[in-house]
Amino acid sequence: MNRLLVWYGELATTRKLTSRGLALLAVPLAWIILLLVAPLGAMMAWSAASRSASGDIEWTLSAANFLRLAGFDSFGWTRSYLVILGTTILVSAVTTIVTIALAYPLAFAIARRPPAHRYLWLALIIIPFCTNLVIRTYAWMLLLGSQMPPARLVQWLHFIGPSEALYPSRFAVYIGMVSNSLPFAVLPLYTNVERLDWAIVEASRDLYSGPVRTFMHGILPQTFPGLVTAIILTFIPAMGAFVIPDLLGGGKSWMLGNLIQHQFGVSRDFPFGAAVSLVLTFLTMIGLLVLRRSGDEVSIL
Amino acid sequence: MRRSPAGSAVKLRAGAGTNRLHPALSALAVGTLVFLYLPLAAVAGMSLNTARFGAAWKGFSLRWYAQLLNNEVVLHAAANTLVLAAVSTAISTVLGTLLAIGLERFPWPRWMRRIVDGVVYVPVVTPDIVFAVGMLLAFEAARQVLGGLRLGMGTMIAAHVTFQISFVALVVGSRLATLGRSVEEAARDLYAGTWHALRRVTLPLIAPGIVSGAMLAFTLSLDDFVISFFTSGPSSVTLPLYIYGSLRRGITPEIHALSTIVFLVTVALVLGLQVLARNPEKE
Amino acid sequence: MRKLAIVLFCCALLAACGRSSSGSAGGSAAGTASVTVFMYSEYIDPALVQKFEKETGLKIVLDTYENTEEMMSKVSSAGDQYDVVVVSDHAIPVMAARGTFRTLDVQKIPNARNISKRFTRPPYDPEGKYSLPYQWGTMGLIYRTDKLPGFVPSWAAVLDPARQPGPVVLLDSMRDLMAAALFHRGFSPNSRNAAELKSAGELLRASRTKKMVGFYGSPDSVGKVLAGDAWVGIAYNGDAVAKLDQNTDFVVPREGTIIWVDAMTIPAKAPNPAGALKFMDFILRPDVGAQLSNFLDYATPNEASLPLIKPEVRNDARVYPPDSQTAKMVMLEDAREATTLYDQVWTRVKAGE
Repeated sequence: MNRLLVWYGELATTRKLTSRGLALLAVPLAWIILLLVAPLGAMMAWSAASRSASGDIEWTLSAANFLRLAGFDSFGWTRSYLVILGTTILVSAVTTIVTIALAYPLAFAIARRPPAHRYLWLALIIIPFCTNLVIRTYAWMLLLGSQMPPARLVQWLHFIGPSEALYPSRFAVYIGMVSNSLPFAVLPLYTNVERLDWAIVEASRDLYSGPVRTFMHGILPQTFPGLVTAIILTFIPAMGAFVIPDLLGGGKSWMLGNLIQHQFGVSRDFPFGAAVSLVLTFLTMIGLLVLRRSGDEVSIL
Repeated sequence: MRRSPAGSAVKLRAGAGTNRLHPALSALAVGTLVFLYLPLAAVAGMSLNTARFGAAWKGFSLRWYAQLLNNEVVLHAAANTLVLAAVSTAISTVLGTLLAIGLERFPWPRWMRRIVDGVVYVPVVTPDIVFAVGMLLAFEAARQVLGGLRLGMGTMIAAHVTFQISFVALVVGSRLATLGRSVEEAARDLYAGTWHALRRVTLPLIAPGIVSGAMLAFTLSLDDFVISFFTSGPSSVTLPLYIYGSLRRGITPEIHALSTIVFLVTVALVLGLQVLARNPEKE
Repeated sequence: MRKLAIVLFCCALLAACGRSSSGSAGGSAAGTASVTVFMYSEYIDPALVQKFEKETGLKIVLDTYENTEEMMSKVSSAGDQYDVVVVSDHAIPVMAARGTFRTLDVQKIPNARNISKRFTRPPYDPEGKYSLPYQWGTMGLIYRTDKLPGFVPSWAAVLDPARQPGPVVLLDSMRDLMAAALFHRGFSPNSRNAAELKSAGELLRASRTKKMVGFYGSPDSVGKVLAGDAWVGIAYNGDAVAKLDQNTDFVVPREGTIIWVDAMTIPAKAPNPAGALKFMDFILRPDVGAQLSNFLDYATPNEASLPLIKPEVRNDARVYPPDSQTAKMVMLEDAREATTLYDQVWTRVKAGE
């Protein structure tokens, strides 16, 4: 049905708008679909198959992979898989919260700079990323060693024993994960914060709101799309992380990323790897849906 | 940019908030920045250390840098990395922006938005390894259809663009979402044509988003290992691949020197762009 | 707008330069005058590469990988771009079964007769059809002599909670660590028996005490013991022996250990098989084999090279163990259908509390 409507001040028909919109979307969407979505769909079919003796895919369809993920493998029931799942969600959640909490002040600080300097500051945030992740992680391993200042400080405070290091530990994993996620949180937040209508914040102050209320009602709703993007760009890669938990956590606490990598690597159990990836994707999709739903309800000025 | 009501004691400068940041928040921001740079400082420090192993300082030395600059393999890898990042960022920024505009600025029915959203998120959500295997499958299929597709720089660029598009689209999209309709509508009211409105109004408004997205894409490409590995050919080694490959023997100070150089070059590039940008063309 | 134009122009310029530089490298690789070799990183003496190029006039294009699985993936998708691939022993049967390798024309490799007896018909390639050995080594314990003067060389030192003497590091490699546990329990490291694997897994889980620092790769394990962060660690002999100082030593546990072998193979679709054969023959020359092992400090499978190995290495029991020890060393085989069992046990070992 070809309606006439006014869209962004332009008198147009839906047909014209649709064709124009599709022209814009066509190439990028086709790229993603052909190169990624289609093969992934094919891979997902693998999750119902099994691993043959030589590591190829055997099409004896079964739900064995999913049962295994729930803990039911050849040796009986084990809670290891649920522990892995729990660890993944916990670490990702804490990482996301801490990262966002640090990203907001940083985004504000950058937005306060004179406009000419802002890209410089943004670039400064990105630059540490030009170093390889593994190198940075090894650097953290060095920094958190037992002879270095941070560990000495914590030893002095008697939180840890006299010549213990700060890694491997869950704390070290968090440090590595947060420092790895910050740029991804700051950038989207910044694009919103830069556009923030400070008059509203001022108004909220004038009405005697404390800083928390001002944030919750003045700043948060305006930066919501950026916040959503920041959460997505932090939480999701965290769910799939494997280098940092391995190096800074001593490889003692597998996360889903490690499990998947093992399947596509050492064990060449692609069907099980596909099954775990499917579950991981499913979990993150749920999270995304929740976020987008609340995102849709935010009315933008 | 809004003006404060007349008579208010508060003055709003262009682009900056009067909202003075609570000193604690300022300190936190600075602290976070320092936190981000600590590993880099450690790496730079180790690259100047005469010692080959361990953190103990054995004396200042530039020999690792000298050794590095004679290393042809590394230089070739560095060139590959830059080319890969630059080309893939250029392509993906364009495509990602098109995607974001196409999605946000048209009256799609809800179901369609959900689907397109979903497709855009797929590269973001997929774990690296799975992504890489998926790409290999795609290239395999392409080889069946087109015949004679070799793994190399081309396939790596294609793979990088695939995940970069989504990130760019997400960042630009969030910027678009916060923009009100008013400015673009006003442009229309003033008889701006579609193309003109796009070029002169929408694009400048979302420029910070595009640049952020491009920077994100560039960074992701520079640091990528897993996907690059699986889609590269014998002579398309990139720096992350080279560095990761050296880890088996333990990280040498040469690698630290390499990382420090990359860092310094990036800083130089950024400063250079700043100088370029300070040219007359005012935003 | 102008800014955008400048940036795009720079990118285009870079791309143009890049294509020409990588294009020329790619071109020479595709030509028949080159041999593309795929092996672990830092696994060959650059001087040998130059020597080969000078003597034969063929150019060597060296590509490297980090671990076996990545190599397998690359070879299956880009197998028509490699001439020689150095493969770890346990992967060879699997890849051979899929037809990945070309049968070696041993007539064209006269130096193949130099290989030591124990490597000529190895379990991973019983007919010697697909591979020729490149380097070999063992896995054992690196420990601090200053902290553990009366050290008993047994896997119990790292695996048995009652006998861990101090901080220990385990090897983050499924087959290798499981092998250690299986040896300690008296089973074969190639066991496919579920009960035996379960027993090994329980041992490993029990070893996760407060003293167990973490699971690390061989170089990091060595590093930690050297730094004093651990007193005992599991490592490959090549990584350990090269870096020992006066307070550390390397030893092979008495229950037995694995021998690992890396072997040269030729993919079925190699672009330059003649060049590949030349390369293999070159490596197996007595002087070249000796130069290689002297550079890498791993052990050479080349009998004819042994006299030319540096005496201090040749007599080092840690690199060239005496026959009494090698009698108890086992090469790892592919676990075939039992791989899933290994995986399941390993997952239980690696998942958190």
